[in-house]
Amino acid sequence: MKVLASGTGEFQIPDPDGLRAYVREHKERRLVTKVMTEQEAVKRLVQDGDYVAYDQNVANRGPASLFREIIRQRKKDLWLCAKFNWSDVSLLAAAGCVSKVDVGWMETGPAIQRALKKGQIKLIEWTNGALSYRLLAGAMGVPFLPMRYMGGTDSFARSAAKLIEDPYLEKPICVVPALNPDVGIIHVHQCDMYGNARVFGAGVAPAEIAMASKKVIISTEEIIENEAIRRQPQRTTIPYYFVDAVVLAPFGTYPGGVPGLYGSDVQHVLEYAAAQIQDKMDEYLEKWVHSVASHEEMLEQRVGVKKLLQLRQDESIREGYYE
Amino acid sequence: MSETLTFTDIEADICYVARRVEEDKLYFVQMAGPPLMAVLMAKRMRAPNIGYVVEEGAVAPSPTFPLWRMMLGASRSHYRAVQWTGMNTVDFHAALGYMDYGVLAAIQIDKYGNLNSTMLGDSYEKPERRFGGPGGGNEIASQCWRTVVMTRLEKRKFVEKVDFMSSPGYLDGTPGARERAGMPAGTGPYLIVTERALFGFDEKTHMMRLQAVAPWISVEEVLARMDFKPLIAEPLEELLPPSEEELAVLRAEIDPSGFTLSRGEWITVERDDSGAMHLLSAGGTGAGA
Repeated sequence: MKVLASGTGEFQIPDPDGLRAYVREHKERRLVTKVMTEQEAVKRLVQDGDYVAYDQNVANRGPASLFREIIRQRKKDLWLCAKFNWSDVSLLAAAGCVSKVDVGWMETGPAIQRALKKGQIKLIEWTNGALSYRLLAGAMGVPFLPMRYMGGTDSFARSAAKLIEDPYLEKPICVVPALNPDVGIIHVHQCDMYGNARVFGAGVAPAEIAMASKKVIISTEEIIENEAIRRQPQRTTIPYYFVDAVVLAPFGTYPGGVPGLYGSDVQHVLEYAAAQIQDKMDEYLEKWVHSVASHEEMLEQRVGVKKLLQLRQDESIREGYYE
Repeated sequence: MSETLTFTDIEADICYVARRVEEDKLYFVQMAGPPLMAVLMAKRMRAPNIGYVVEEGAVAPSPTFPLWRMMLGASRSHYRAVQWTGMNTVDFHAALGYMDYGVLAAIQIDKYGNLNSTMLGDSYEKPERRFGGPGGGNEIASQCWRTVVMTRLEKRKFVEKVDFMSSPGYLDGTPGARERAGMPAGTGPYLIVTERALFGFDEKTHMMRLQAVAPWISVEEVLARMDFKPLIAEPLEELLPPSEEELAVLRAEIDPSGFTLSRGEWITVERDDSGAMHLLSAGGTGAGA
């Protein structure tokens, strides 16, 4: 096959057979409960140096409670898949958990500018779609996929995409390597104890991440009965055998929101922005992460019932999600 | 009797794009800010059934007016869609040729319509300023038939060569350059929208071409705000400023919080007794941002 151009970005070499062997050896096939605490899930399933992907749509449905637990457990040297991000990269980078970031789009406030100046994080250029598409290749068990974009740009040159001659049409086509994260983290509306999970609304790429990742942690707003899943199987986004851990996390995306359930906390967003601008991220992390033992304790002691009820009220739309 | 009109550059951009939205076409819209507002403005004012997709996977949503702030990818912007799917699916819709127009914003653009939304500075390793990245801009600019870009007319934005090409225009401008990079044929930047002028592209050379100019600014003044000299269409179209009706809808129903609109450069123009328009003042908080 003729390679016409190659991006120079660092990437993990796709290993579909390695993944198959891992799946055969390690993934649970039985219907067993996977419910565990956030502490246990992160301790068991996130290792220093892991490649971590998560599903998020700016301020919506990001697995924020698990990000905070990753920070609390002082995980290091993570490589993040930053497709369609918000403040999660800056938060994890300020906490010292991140060394590399595959960028589609991310918030680039003062915390990121500082981390870049100090050389703390290395960026590899992609696009939102290219990262979702690499996850699709990972989810299909193939080493790469062709696509009609990215070629000819600096984003291409700083990625690990290649321009090849299509073996059928003999025309140039861009190909991207499959992405099979070590860990996929997905926050969902509902999930049963086995890991059958439901995402309502436009979801970016939750199924692709679950299928592509070696280890999968689901955090969920509520745990529902398996009977409820079986009554409406079409609503299942991710079936149980991909899932390694189910963590109950109501308001788990706080300060972000969950469509159909609660809105994002604008006040908190401003507090986070101020912490970045005033270079007080350590104080922010102490207040919201290190000084509380768990997500539940943060909700109780830092957010409070009044605010949580307000966020529920702010989300007036249920149509299409729960109705 | 003379009258004055005050608007921001962002308001002008949104009106110029909204007026050109065609109801018999499909749009792939950058998820927030002026591009989404422009399509929603058209939907509110004259094209209620306009079909558009956003990259996180909402197909043909129909938000209610007035719009809310913080509606980025949330239930309010996805309200009453015909389908909720994912990012790969809507990118496939564009790859298949269904998306007639892509609407984007960019921080820097060059004479061939190449777009930068990644970094400013001479060195990639040591950027003066790092930005968020292409997001979905690359897939939109590569795969939609025609790309519409919204930006501000400034010398540091209209440059000979972008500091970083995040998303493709006509690349080096040579015939077939996009196809040689794997993109579908017949696609590319179509309209560049700024508060002072609109630009298209020459079909052969792929050079940017001045196409329309606001009546309160001269061609020379437009060129003085660019780092390269574009081709100039003959004749030039006149770019009418936002009308009072457009501004009222925009401010009351498209961005009632003023969060996006007010960040722009504030422009005040006067229409004298003869109907001629003059610039009275331009500037403001957003002008240098």
